[in-house]
This record gives sequence, C-alpha cells and structure tokens, in this order.
Amino acid sequence: MNGIVELQLWQFSLVYLLLVVVAVIMKCCHIDQTKRMAVASVRMTVQLVLAGLVLTYIFENPSPVFTLGYLGMMIVFTILRVLGNNKGINLRFQLTIAASLALSGIFVIFFFVVVVVGESIFNPQYVITIGGMVMGNTMTGVSLGVKTLRESLMGQRVKLNALICAGAKPKVILRPFVERALETAMVPTFNSMIGMGIVSLPGMMTGQILSGTLPQTAILYQIAIMISICTVVTVASFCSLYLGYQTLYRSPEQIIDI
Amino acid sequence: MAILQSQRGLQFIQTITYPDIAIAEGKFTFLTGESGCGKSTYLRLLNATALPIAGKIEYRGAAIDVGMDIIEYRRKVVLTPQEVYLFDGTIEGNFRKYYKMREESAPERAKMEQFLRICCSLFPLDTRCDTLSGGERQRVFMAIFLSFNPEVLLLDEPTSALDEQTAKRMLTNLKSHCQTQGITVVVVCHSDELVRQFADIQIDLGKEARG
Repeated sequence: MNGIVELQLWQFSLVYLLLVVVAVIMKCCHIDQTKRMAVASVRMTVQLVLAGLVLTYIFENPSPVFTLGYLGMMIVFTILRVLGNNKGINLRFQLTIAASLALSGIFVIFFFVVVVVGESIFNPQYVITIGGMVMGNTMTGVSLGVKTLRESLMGQRVKLNALICAGAKPKVILRPFVERALETAMVPTFNSMIGMGIVSLPGMMTGQILSGTLPQTAILYQIAIMISICTVVTVASFCSLYLGYQTLYRSPEQIIDI
Repeated sequence: MAILQSQRGLQFIQTITYPDIAIAEGKFTFLTGESGCGKSTYLRLLNATALPIAGKIEYRGAAIDVGMDIIEYRRKVVLTPQEVYLFDGTIEGNFRKYYKMREESAPERAKMEQFLRICCSLFPLDTRCDTLSGGERQRVFMAIFLSFNPEVLLLDEPTSALDEQTAKRMLTNLKSHCQTQGITVVVVCHSDELVRQFADIQIDLGKEARG
C-alpha cells in the first residue's frame, strides 16, 4: 500500500471551489444562508488549522501534561456544549451531566487506549484522536437525551399534577419520560452502526486506509471505536438522565418542580 | 370531630392567610369564597402537594410535614384536581394506568363500572377517552379518583363542566356513597344552589382569608 499523497497548498485550495456550487444552489433557491455558510467554512478552516498546529507541536514534544491537558480541554468543551444546548436546567442536574460526561468519557478512552490497544494513556497520537471521537459522539447523544427529556416534560403540568394528587411517586411518574429520552439518545448510534460499511466507509477507517493502513487493521479499529462510542453514549446518557431526573423533584416533600 | 384542621396564620404565599379551619370527619364540607381567595390552594395544602410557608395542618391530630410518609398520606387524603388528565386510550386503560402509577393492582372491571355509575359516567369500559366530551371526561376522572377509596376526598370544582341536572345527580350519588363508606369530602364549588342542597357544613374563605 502507498502512503497518502501529500496535498500541496494550491491543490488543496481547489476544494473550496466546490463551495461555489453550494452558493449557487442556495442563491437559486433563495436560501438566505450564504453568510452562515461563509462563517462556517472560515471557522472550520481556522479551527482545524489551529488544531493541526497544536497537534503537530504536541506530537513533536510529547509530554503527559499536553496530552492530558488536551483531553481535559475536550471534555470541558463537551460539557459546555451540552449545557449550552440545554439552558435552564437546575444546577444539580448540570453538575450531574458534567460528571457523567467526564467520567464515562475518561473510562472508555482509558479502556480503549490502554487495555485494548495497549498504548500509554499519555500517548497523544491515540489519546487525542480517540478522545475526540469518543467525546464528540457523547456530546451528541447526551445533548439529544437531555433535550428530549426536557421537551417531553414541557406542557405536561396537568398530567404531572393529576398523578401527584392521585398519590403516585414522582419517581414512578417521571421514569417513563426518562426511559424514552435514553432511547432517543441511543438510537443515532445504533443507526450508524447498522449502515456502516454498506453505504459509507466510516471516517476513521477511511483516514487509516488513505494513510496506508491495511483495511483489515482499519476494520478492527473501526469496530472497536464504534463499540466504544456505543458504550460511552449509553453510559453517559444513562448516568445523566437517571441521576439527573432525581433533581427534578424534592424527595422529602415528593413534589415535582417543573 | 375534626379529621383535618389548621389554625389561623396558615400561609402558602404571603398574600393569603387562612383563618381557623376544621374539617369534620364523615361530613360533606363545601369551601366557598370568591376567585383567588385560596380555595384550591387550601385543598393542595390539605393533601400535601403544596406546603405552607407558615403554620401547619393537622391530620387526626398529627402535623403534616416532610418527616412523615407523604405518599402514604396523599393516598389517604386524595385530591381530585380541577384540571382533568386522562391518558390516551380506553376508560379501562385509564383505570389501569392510574393504578400502575400508584404501584397498585387495578380493581375488577365490575368495580370500575360501579364507580363510573356513581359518577354518572357508566360508559362501556372500552370507550376511547378522546371521544368523550369535557363533562364526560371530568366524571370518568372523578370515578378513577373515587375508586382509590381514600379516607378524605378533596374535590376541586368537580362540577365545573357539568350541567346542573347532571351535577345534582352526581353529587347525590357521591354523597350517599361517601356516607356509607365513611369518606370525608371537601368540595370547592362556585354554585350557591349546589352548596345549599349538598353541604353539611360550609366554610366561607372569601371573607376571612385575605390580608
């Protein structure tokens, strides 16, 4: 197998021409998102260039501090994004989500890198890349789960009140909402596992094959990462929702605060 | 004898202070008073779905507070709220869902029918609730709550969606059922006519509760 073709800068910049096609279609269909597209493209470029520079530096000067620092930063951003997507939840719920994201993310990353691959937890090449995939997917899953829980409870005041008055426990009343939210959080991951390898070759595998890895090896990595992602999404969503929903009612009084 | 009572000074919010109130055991008590005088809130305080910021309520001489098993208490002193909630599905399905939420087994179908009959809502048990009118839904809702067989039944405007004829028939049935079963009933109601006809005791909050 050949190594990847190094992209020359002028060659690379040709890809931006494709955006002209996007812009033309939006113009024809009167979709007023040209500015958004421009901003998104610029942001993506700048963020990735920065990430490239930082990663190059870290790979050339490997140090546990850099690796763990980068991992920590990813976790913090994940937490902030999930909480940013779910404004208005109470502080205890927020802390529960933060702890669930951090702990389940760290656990799965550690398991993958140290136990499965057998590399050091300080190896930036593995920890940062795997960490990025794990935390990115966790963010989507937990965000979706918490959002589903909140939205499904909205407008249910009459129902919650009737059941509370009837002498049902808040725990029992809220549990079905939580179960549905967890299901919603997990479904996208299952769907992507089902389609995998038929419709598309997943990103990690494509990247490895392009850079010269044998497909057999790339497949093993891809399967391992998908199972890890499935686990981390489930565990993080489960902990966020099952521990978090208990902050929605006052235990001694058995009153739901929504 | 009073089954539930509270002393002057009981407050849920600062603007409403309740007078001395005593609910007599086994009687049909009506709470009256103008809108906003705190009638519904008083019912919520009685079944501990709201807690006072000052003062306390006693049930059989013991104060209701967070130290007790609130859920067990709420099942003895059941509140039928003003806003009706029925699940999608049949009447029988609603009985089952409410009992499931209380973690209890649902009554026999014949029992369900008995309570529906008391509440003048004896529709077939497999009737879908979304086909019922507002008044019919209110009566089915009440039948479910009545079937919990509480010691005290608190009814918040139970006849608001009913015509006068139906309201009277239902209250007549309800009163005789509760008398035979020894259930204490507290009703919030705006109809002077119904109060006159059915109240064993009337407590007027309108004059005293404010201020």
